[in-house]
Amino acid sequence: MKSKILFLLIAIIAGMILLNVQPLRAQEMTKDQWQSEMNSTTTQVTDLQNQLKKIDDDIKGLKDRSDKLDADVKACNDALLALLGVTQSEFDAFDRDLASMEKRVAELQAMSDAELLNHRAEIDQITKKLADMAKSKIALIPRYGERIKALQEKVAALIKAPSRMDTYTVGTWAKDRDCLWNIAKKKDIYDNAWLWPKIWQGNRDKIKDPDIIKPRWVLKIPEGKELSKAEKSSANTYYHKKAAAPK
Amino acid sequence: MVKNMKSFIAAAVLVGAGMVAGCSSGPSAEQLAQLENMKQQAKSLSSQLQDKQRQKGDLEKQIAAKNGKLQQCQADQDAVKKALGK
Repeated sequence: MKSKILFLLIAIIAGMILLNVQPLRAQEMTKDQWQSEMNSTTTQVTDLQNQLKKIDDDIKGLKDRSDKLDADVKACNDALLALLGVTQSEFDAFDRDLASMEKRVAELQAMSDAELLNHRAEIDQITKKLADMAKSKIALIPRYGERIKALQEKVAALIKAPSRMDTYTVGTWAKDRDCLWNIAKKKDIYDNAWLWPKIWQGNRDKIKDPDIIKPRWVLKIPEGKELSKAEKSSANTYYHKKAAAPK
Repeated sequence: MVKNMKSFIAAAVLVGAGMVAGCSSGPSAEQLAQLENMKQQAKSLSSQLQDKQRQKGDLEKQIAAKNGKLQQCQADQDAVKKALGK
């Protein structure tokens, strides 16, 4: 009987502990703490709602301003095109052409003089196109006018640079009619056939007899517009030998 | 012995009652849920506010770019008018 009562008592106490202590652990908060936290969170929510309302108003104002600016930019652009007498697509094409020429000229600038000689026709074409562009009313817009002028200066420098080749690869007689005389006569070599001894003397390692040059030889083209004493002398020797040779 | 036992039971009941009374000073489950909801709302509003601030920043940048475009266009117009003698 006593043990039954004792067991019952322990069971009741254990039950009470389980019922009461467990929720206390889970809550870990008094009503005052709850109230305080509730107050601060409510204030935070109200504050955030006010900030959101204000920022929404700001965004609306900015959107209106952005729309108005779009309209102003369009009106200004239309007026500019009307002044220039061109359509938007013509204006865009001009802009694209100029940009692509700038890119191409930059590529040409990176080439060697010898390579540039092979692009002479293209450079001439760019020069002509730039001259046409400079006459366009679009070039009256300072930033376009300046870009065209800068490009013209770069192209002019490209034209000046390759005054002549510094080497020449011999072709075949059948196809290219290459002999020292004809090579010296070429516009991008000396543009003067009488300067052929310069090529001969500049390539004595290869050319033993000036009447014999072989296809695929890469000949140095020495600088100068006149024959040196040595070149003249070697040329005279050659002419004398030729004249003395039995016919 | 039985008397002692009764006293012990009475004491245990009092202790238990005291514990129950102590527990009742905490917030109810409903109040806790209310606080949790409020915290969630604050979190959501804070996130919305961040998005709006980003949106506002983007709009300000766009407006600055458009202002630049407009000024450029007006300067172009003036230069062309001057060159054409208008």
